[in-house]
Amino acid sequence: MTITATLEVFRCAPGGVDGRFESYDVTVHDNATVLDAIEAVWANHDRSLVFRHACHHASCGSCGVLVNGSEVLPCIVDLADALRQRSPVRVEPLRNLPLAGDLVVDVTGFFERMLASTMSITRTAEDALPLDADDDGGRSQAVSVPDGLARFNRFENCVECGICISACPTMATDERFRGPAMLAALGRARAESADPQQREHLLDLADGEHGVWRCHSSWECTQRCPQQVDPAESIMEQRREILRRRFRRRVR
Amino acid sequence: MAVSTPSGPSRVRSAGRWFDVRHRGPGTWAYALNRITGLALVGYLYIHLAVLSLLARGPGSYDRFVDLVRSPLFLALDLVLIAGWLIHALNGLRLTVVGLGFGVRAQRTMLVVATGAGLLALVVSAVLLFGD
Ligand code: SF4
Repeated sequence: MTITATLEVFRCAPGGVDGRFESYDVTVHDNATVLDAIEAVWANHDRSLVFRHACHHASCGSCGVLVNGSEVLPCIVDLADALRQRSPVRVEPLRNLPLAGDLVVDVTGFFERMLASTMSITRTAEDALPLDADDDGGRSQAVSVPDGLARFNRFENCVECGICISACPTMATDERFRGPAMLAALGRARAESADPQQREHLLDLADGEHGVWRCHSSWECTQRCPQQVDPAESIMEQRREILRRRFRRRVR
Repeated sequence: MAVSTPSGPSRVRSAGRWFDVRHRGPGTWAYALNRITGLALVGYLYIHLAVLSLLARGPGSYDRFVDLVRSPLFLALDLVLIAGWLIHALNGLRLTVVGLGFGVRAQRTMLVVATGAGLLALVVSAVLLFGD
């Protein structure tokens, strides 16, 4: 069985120049996801469509877009569900990040922030894993993480998709706001660190007018995050820690 | 490390995002309402001060003004003012508690309670205003 859907896809040149919506009719399998439909646009209508994806199962975090106005990973949204919400299905790039073209945003600045949180992106960790290419892909081998590497392993759950950056209304007017994902990563890194100095340093990074105090509590990050990271709660917890620290310094 | 782009939308258009509640959750409704009521209450404060300055022109002009604001139209506007004040005050309490890191997990419950309490207080206010 197949379904036919019309997709209204945002198209633009780098920097958002010449932004417009273009409509495409696609016919796909009836259990197709919205990402499958986007791929069908690329395959059957316009090979110049710029979009990003990798894993197809919500672990790479690269395909994030707005579907019918809400931030989602289109690889886990059924096209049929999206159609029930709105027809034609509207697909737009994430907000609050520079537009690189069509559905792709430039995540360089965002990834730099994630790096600064001391929670590294995957590549660093993967390259360093001692997998032997000659055996069965390393499946039968116990993969041991070298000493000290554990801290580079990414912030569990967060797939660095940028959905929370797009969903945050405060992010729209303060580009220096560190943003939900970085603040949550800082909280996570602090929880993991046993080194008191490092813990202080991480709390310093979260503090300040562009840090946890810039959040104005819309809770959209937590609401939209596809991985239940709950950045808002982490932001509020770090505020409490910062206040506790200030109080302790005063009374000492 | 700028996340946004210099060729991005203007600041005014970006600020429009604060009030764009389409496809957003209850948290954003509270966020937008808090901002709108905050701005409106500041505006009201200036009107209030201007009205009070009528007193400086003698009791006659002030009394004439008070007669005017006793009309049903102005009483209805009073109710709007009370609604705005209730939203800002009750949600403000919730944000103060949660924003300092307390009861974070109960923020949604607090929103429901604040909405209920606000509606109740608004009904009571309406009865008191229009009751006799
Ligand atoms: S916190 Fe959630 S929404 Fe934000 S980047 Fe990580 S996975 Fe995506």
